[in-house]
Amino acid sequence: MRVLFYGRLAEAIAPELEVDAPPGCSVGQLRDRLAAAHPSAEQTLRSRRARACVGAVMVHDDHVVGPTETVEFLPPVSGG
Amino acid sequence: MSIVVRLEEQPLEPGRELDEILRRATDDGAVVSFVGVARPRSRSGDALQELVLDHHPTLTLQSLEDIAVSAAERFDVSHIQVVHRCGAVRTGEPIVFASAASPHRRAAFEAADYLMDRLKTEAVFWKKEVGPAGSEWIEPTAADYAERERWG
Repeated sequence: MRVLFYGRLAEAIAPELEVDAPPGCSVGQLRDRLAAAHPSAEQTLRSRRARACVGAVMVHDDHVVGPTETVEFLPPVSGG
Repeated sequence: MSIVVRLEEQPLEPGRELDEILRRATDDGAVVSFVGVARPRSRSGDALQELVLDHHPTLTLQSLEDIAVSAAERFDVSHIQVVHRCGAVRTGEPIVFASAASPHRRAAFEAADYLMDRLKTEAVFWKKEVGPAGSEWIEPTAADYAERERWG
C-alpha cells in the first residue's frame, strides 16, 4: 500500500512509504501501525486537525483501503 | 466577474499582479490589495532565513480557489486575484498577494480582509521556519483562528 505524507509528517516519516498492510486494513488501523512504527509522528498522526485522504477526498478512520488506493496523511494545515 | 487564483513556485511580483487586476477592473471604483511578506523573525524572536511552504498537488490550489469563490459570493466584488507562493521563500520576499475590485471601496476592503483571514487558517500549506538556530513547523495562532471566526 502506497502512503504519502506532507509537512512535518513527511519530515518525521518519509514523503512516501510502501506499507505492507493486510487486505481489509482500515485507515484507522493504518494510522495505528504508522504511529507505532514512528513514535515521533504519533502526536501529529492522531491530531484532531490531521486528515487522511484517498484520491484527494477526505476519509474517516473506518474507510477500508482498497488494494490500489493511495492513502495520504495530512498534518494540521499551517494556512498561508 | 473574474477570479484568478495561482500557485506560484517562482518569486511573486506584487506590482505585476496589481497591474493585472487593475486592467480587469476598468468598470470599478476600488481595488484593494494585500501583500503578505515572509517575516525575518520567528514568534520566539529567532532570526530566520527562509520559510518553506510544503503543499499538496491538488488540494492546495483547490483550497485557494474555494476561498476566492466564497469571497466572490459573499461580497459585492467584480474581480478577485489570489496568488500564493509555494516552496522556499526568503525572508522579506512576498508570500501572498490577495486583491479584490469592486464598484465601491467598502466591499473591496472587506473582501480582501476576508480572503486573508481564511487563507491564514485554511489554505492547505505546511510551513516551516528555517534559520541558523534550526527549523520549526508552524501552525496558525489563536489570533489567526479568532480573526477567521469573525466571519462566521
